[in-house]
Amino acid sequence: MFINVIVNGEKINIDINPTKRLVDFLRDDLNLTGVKEGCSEGECGACTVILDRKAVASCSVLVGQVNGKEIITIEGLEKDGELDALQRAFIEIGAIQCGFCTPGMILSCKALLMNNPFPTEDEIKRAIEGNLCRCTGYTKIVEAVQSAIEWGHGNDE
Amino acid sequence: MKELRYVGQRIIREDSYDKARGKTIYVGDMKRANMLYAKLVLGQKAHAEIEIDKTEAMLVDGIEAIFTHEDVPKVQYNAFEWHSSIKAPRDEYLLNNKARYVGDRIALVVGKSKKAVEEAIAKLSIAYKEEKPVIGLDEATSLAFSKEISTGDYEKAFENADYIIKDIGTTPKIHHAAIEPHACLAEFDDRGNLLIWAPCQVASQIQIHVSNILNIPLNRVRVVKTVMGGSFGGKSIPILEPIAAFATYRLNRPVLLYMNRTDTILGTVTRNATKITVETAVNKEGKILGRKIEAHVDGGAYNTNAAAVTMALGKKLFRLYDIKDQCYIGKAYYTNTIPGGACRGYGSPQAHAITEVNIDNVAKTLNMDPCEFRLKNLIEDGAKDPTGSTDIGNAKIKECIIKGMEAFNWKEKRKNIRNKNTNRYSYGIGMACGTHGNGYTGAYPDYTSVDLRLFSDGSVLVNMSIHDLGCGTLTIMQQIAAEALDIEIEKVKVTEADTLNTPADSAGTQASRVTYVCGAAVKEAGEKLRQKLIDTFCKLKGINQDDVITSQGYIFNKQSNQKYSYSEIVVEAEKTFQEDMSVFIKYKSPANPASFAACFAEVKVDKYTGLVEVIDFLAVHDIGKSINPMLVEGQIQGGVQFSIGMALTEDIDIDSKGNVKSTNFSKYHILNSTSMPKVRTMTIEANEPYGPYGAKSVGEMATVAPAPAIINAINFALDTNITTYPATPELIINELNKKS
Ligand code: FES
Ligand code: FES
Repeated sequence: MFINVIVNGEKINIDINPTKRLVDFLRDDLNLTGVKEGCSEGECGACTVILDRKAVASCSVLVGQVNGKEIITIEGLEKDGELDALQRAFIEIGAIQCGFCTPGMILSCKALLMNNPFPTEDEIKRAIEGNLCRCTGYTKIVEAVQSAIEWGHGNDE
Repeated sequence: MKELRYVGQRIIREDSYDKARGKTIYVGDMKRANMLYAKLVLGQKAHAEIEIDKTEAMLVDGIEAIFTHEDVPKVQYNAFEWHSSIKAPRDEYLLNNKARYVGDRIALVVGKSKKAVEEAIAKLSIAYKEEKPVIGLDEATSLAFSKEISTGDYEKAFENADYIIKDIGTTPKIHHAAIEPHACLAEFDDRGNLLIWAPCQVASQIQIHVSNILNIPLNRVRVVKTVMGGSFGGKSIPILEPIAAFATYRLNRPVLLYMNRTDTILGTVTRNATKITVETAVNKEGKILGRKIEAHVDGGAYNTNAAAVTMALGKKLFRLYDIKDQCYIGKAYYTNTIPGGACRGYGSPQAHAITEVNIDNVAKTLNMDPCEFRLKNLIEDGAKDPTGSTDIGNAKIKECIIKGMEAFNWKEKRKNIRNKNTNRYSYGIGMACGTHGNGYTGAYPDYTSVDLRLFSDGSVLVNMSIHDLGCGTLTIMQQIAAEALDIEIEKVKVTEADTLNTPADSAGTQASRVTYVCGAAVKEAGEKLRQKLIDTFCKLKGINQDDVITSQGYIFNKQSNQKYSYSEIVVEAEKTFQEDMSVFIKYKSPANPASFAACFAEVKVDKYTGLVEVIDFLAVHDIGKSINPMLVEGQIQGGVQFSIGMALTEDIDIDSKGNVKSTNFSKYHILNSTSMPKVRTMTIEANEPYGPYGAKSVGEMATVAPAPAIINAINFALDTNITTYPATPELIINELNKKS
């Protein structure tokens, strides 16, 4: 099946098995290894990508479902070599330890901010409730999102 | 003393830039030309003879090999052995000849793609001839290890006691739940060495086992530590690496051995489950006279760490309270369940889980405040270990409690918190203390080497065998090196373990030794190299030591008022004296003091559903000196998440037949963002002798005291005596029903 999809701003038209998991397509076919796999069952959030402004677990989406849609992975967050405010905040606040949850975590937060630029602490926590982190206890992750909001996250769309 | 420029600062981790951009390469992201994928086949029965028919599976397109017990070297080993001098009962093979637990590795499927591998595994036909399994400590009879540690005469103390308070409690098997599942990559390097890329805690431990099992000299086995998506002890003993190495050795192709989450839960190791009985004897005045503790440890189906963890658990019990007459009996048993392995805290969380609840019960019997009671009985600064083990050091546990009581508003809350109660909700606060070590000195070899080199451009390489598990260890070493050498931190790079290229290190990242031991080695190296620079400079210029000062990569000649960069001096010295600017340090850790923490928790218990919410949490840590407060807070906050899980939700659920029910994150619950409180942290920084800039451990310590603090808070809220972990909603409802 031919699939049209925009990944990190780039138009892709590819003949591909539509039952392939999105995570495999991104990692294996596009070499976007920032997409991580921690559970394969939609429970850890490590594989999160943004699909049409919504955070989704790419291990639980099939390529056939993304036809005509737009995907952002962690690799697509930088604009002209400039880090997104969330990326900067995660780095500077110390919200990154082993880093395995980080891409998914940042993208869940990004999707939140795209749709709700000034979330409350509870809304932040809820936006990442599907992203498990075993290192940080989430405290600094929530603080990082709050800092990014404070610094101004570039009036996304 | 010079003011510290890097130590004590919130230095940002260099590796976080790539991690935030998705650029970091973990082992599962690596690809090689001609690479094969491999996956273990895990036994489905807890105790059974097995017969494997590979015929059909071998027909799957792309399958290169299927190995079973018949194919592997008949070398028994114990993956726990982490140093050439450590010997433990050897009872495992690369692939085992029998299924001894659900998850036992019985075959390896190797193919050109993951798809082929998965397909072949589905086609593998395995016949099980079942035998009766032994599940859980209540059924266990086969001893894996047993030992008594005693000081004084506890029986006499019991005779003189006004009260003897007894508690029996249990702690569960816990999955480490590093978000990166286990994986490793083996290949031959361009010089014909067997090269293994592994997210590991002790690269040299893998080297030892691969060398032994495959009969290859150590100097041909190269293990490189990769970036690690968390470990917490789970990736400590080599499980996958020797098997991947074997497959590469046999097939002469790169092999990526991977696991999914279910395999990672079933097919690796767990925190050892325990059943612990504590009897504490006190007098009316509130002094502990003696204590007897018996711990039964579920060692699982193979010996692994049965002895080490049982000993580690017991030893901590002599290093927190001032108890002269105490007896510890530790027994580890074989069961047909997942083997035990290192897990953050290594016995300390289990020991404190029950003893700290018992301490609260003693205080309750005496009608004393639990903090006050502890303050009367905790050890003092400079205390000696009554068992004769290493000195406890600069112990500031009392200060942790005093500062914590104030910050938590303990007295007032303890008095009034129940006023918040409603029909449905009960509130409570509780606290607990804990202790953990700083390395292996006193028990096992604890040494490391550092090759510190200043290049001609002024950049610095700290060549050593570090294993950063994700905690930021590399940054800590970088800070220490920059401080000691007096150079800009951006100039300093620190290596991770590469067994054929980095200097020896006895024990890797284990036993809370890295900051305290490896950090001290780096400090010594940095100071020596700085001195060498000064000496060289004085020799070159014919001036006196008193005439020079260093600052941030420069040496100033006070006489001439001229400044020279380190780089200029290196170039000149190399030319003039024909010697590079480096030092090589061999460091043996002279001590192994204790770290401490006191934790305070407030909980809200829903008496209708049994759900517990932790609404406030404060952790106060005695850490000597915080090298990087941002990382220290991160360690504590993450440790609290780990420990709240043990208190409330985490348990590898195994039924009476040995089947594991919690095989994924929907059935094995680690705390997510909405169930975690904001964790407040405080540190007591009173300088630990021998620690670099006075620092001691924190990462493992952080998982010890939170769980009993929460259980104590629940018991205070409900007036129960829960001693079973985790305190799930069902358990709480049961306890409430028992009361009414
Ligand atoms: S890998 Fe997709 S949610 Fe865990
Ligand atoms: S930083 Fe390690 S899992 Fe989140």
